[in-house]
Amino acid sequence: MTPEQLALRDAVRSLLAKHSDVRAAIETPHGYDKDVWARLTDIGVLPIPERYGGSGATRAETTIALEELGRTLTPSPLLASTLAVEALLAAENEEACERLLPRIADGTVATLIWPWHGTEYDLDGPARYVLNGDTAEIVLATDGTDLYEVDPGAAREHTPTMDQTRRLATVTPSGATRLGPWDPGVRDIALAALCAEQVGTAARALELTVEHTKTRVQFGRPIGSFQALKHRMADMHVLVETARSAAGAFTDEISAAVAKVYCSEALFEVAAEMVQLHGGIAITWEHDAHLYLKRAHGSGQLFGSPVMHLQRLKAKI
Amino acid sequence: MDLSLDAETLSFQAEVRAWLASHVRSLSSMDTAEGFEEHRAWERSLAAERLSVVSWPAVYGGREASLLQWLVFEEEYHASGAPGRVSQNGIFLLAPTLFAHGTDEQRARILPAMARADEVWAQAWSEPEAGSDLASLRSTATRCDGGWLLRGQKTWSSRAAFADRAFGLFRTGPGERHRGLTYLLFDLRSDGVTVRPIDQLDGEPGFAEIFLDDVFVPDHDVVGEVGDGWRVAMSTAGNERGLTLRSPGRFTAAASRLVELYRKNPDPALRDRVVDAWIGAQAYRLHTYGALASPLSGPAASVTKVFWSELDVALHETALDLLGEVAPGWRDGWLFSLSGPIYAGTNEIQRNVIAERLLGLPR
Repeated sequence: MTPEQLALRDAVRSLLAKHSDVRAAIETPHGYDKDVWARLTDIGVLPIPERYGGSGATRAETTIALEELGRTLTPSPLLASTLAVEALLAAENEEACERLLPRIADGTVATLIWPWHGTEYDLDGPARYVLNGDTAEIVLATDGTDLYEVDPGAAREHTPTMDQTRRLATVTPSGATRLGPWDPGVRDIALAALCAEQVGTAARALELTVEHTKTRVQFGRPIGSFQALKHRMADMHVLVETARSAAGAFTDEISAAVAKVYCSEALFEVAAEMVQLHGGIAITWEHDAHLYLKRAHGSGQLFGSPVMHLQRLKAKI
Repeated sequence: MDLSLDAETLSFQAEVRAWLASHVRSLSSMDTAEGFEEHRAWERSLAAERLSVVSWPAVYGGREASLLQWLVFEEEYHASGAPGRVSQNGIFLLAPTLFAHGTDEQRARILPAMARADEVWAQAWSEPEAGSDLASLRSTATRCDGGWLLRGQKTWSSRAAFADRAFGLFRTGPGERHRGLTYLLFDLRSDGVTVRPIDQLDGEPGFAEIFLDDVFVPDHDVVGEVGDGWRVAMSTAGNERGLTLRSPGRFTAAASRLVELYRKNPDPALRDRVVDAWIGAQAYRLHTYGALASPLSGPAASVTKVFWSELDVALHETALDLLGEVAPGWRDGWLFSLSGPIYAGTNEIQRNVIAERLLGLPR
């Protein structure tokens, strides 16, 4: 990381430490804390060029912010808006960029409907699991060939899933206006962005577990001093670091799919171990371990499960 | 090993299957006040047919069923989709202790009420600072006129939010750690008892903290000798870890459901894992049937604890991967399965038991 990127990471981390309250955020009507989102857009974490009213942050800076949001599980429209921005920039429609990107840069929530289930999408039927789809003001959609701006309609609704920290919705769009071509590379960018978030979640899950096992005393010593637990946390560390490498190595379709499979499985394993190594306290609602576990499950499924991407990889390599 | 059933067992199996087929219905969660009472009523309907405690002596409400018949009952019970057993802590943890260490008076007073779910029991072992290291527990029982006064705090007490009575270990002295502990029964509605339900990761209070402030326990509710509580408790701890709490029927039924799920959502990439989970359930079934010939020792129960708890997690994770984000019918089972490697002695503790007591490795 450059000194500027380190400063950005610290700024986001300290913002979240001060202002992020996950339990309160998921109870709000929007499913995220609007104040935190406003502060994030002020820092300038969206990958919007300066000529469109953005901070000039690139994908690298957005990735850093996503990893920080993953650490704390803070619900945020950053992933949704980032995907809309990337799709819009790739469509190379000057008019649409000038009209929409400054609004997104200012915090107007945007989202993207895209066929990550692997099936064709005709822009007509209800689209499920749309990020922030119940409240996004700017909604873009693709049928796999072109990119459209659509009217999300009035019938959109929040879809409660196991992971309460990620706001998903079912949207039935109408009135599609073509903006330009759809770049399939946006899918790979989406996967890489999600992987960065997963790495943050896994890293924090491990940190919390290490902290717990250093302070929890049984048999007269901290349980983290027992080799049976040490080795499991050492294995978790290996998973976190290799997942970080996989997420950071994204350059193309194959490396993005590899990262999605690897990071999803690594996070799931780390979060499941977090529960086991915390013992009884992790089975309570009050402790955050179940939020990490549910996030691990949900983000494994989001944008296609590891199994789905493995099938895709098999056909490619 | 011959696994074919004799005529009497076949007839018992047919009776159980027919009764369950006409009586099983779905109930609200037992971790709600209303669902708890629904489960209590279900236990009573089982008891009316002498099906709540089939292996017990008839005088206490059972049928004196053999271990084989009990295994058959469990297979039928779980295959039918019957409700979870709200009385299970009493039936599978306290009752074996009373059979081994209780007095005739205690058995006559406690067991029939347990079999009919007139009294539902919660366990009160763990404390905030005594989980895996149970022998470090600090709650005390002090002598008073006609009995004992309990002071301290218990936690992770399953079913305590709505149960009637509880059993647990208390420090009576003299001595430290395993010495000077006594096994006592107490009423959760007694003066001085405060129960604070703890919401579990599914959002429902499946367990609770119990605060005890000079709670009176009469002498007749001491199980075994005063000061001998550790031995009394541990002589039947294998029940929780071993096959009685987690009968193979529970896992063979879940494996069958998993195979059905696969038929509806065939995903070739997950086929091996579905078959592995099914094989695991079969292996566990065969392992427990093997115990018919030579009952499992305490340390051997640690083997089954590791096996069934990790099998349960694998079964549910495979189902979740088949279903994706929305996992009707499997979500709560998955969340519950995660506690399996933790309760009844964590799997780390079980592996230590296996290493030290079965393999003879140095401590």
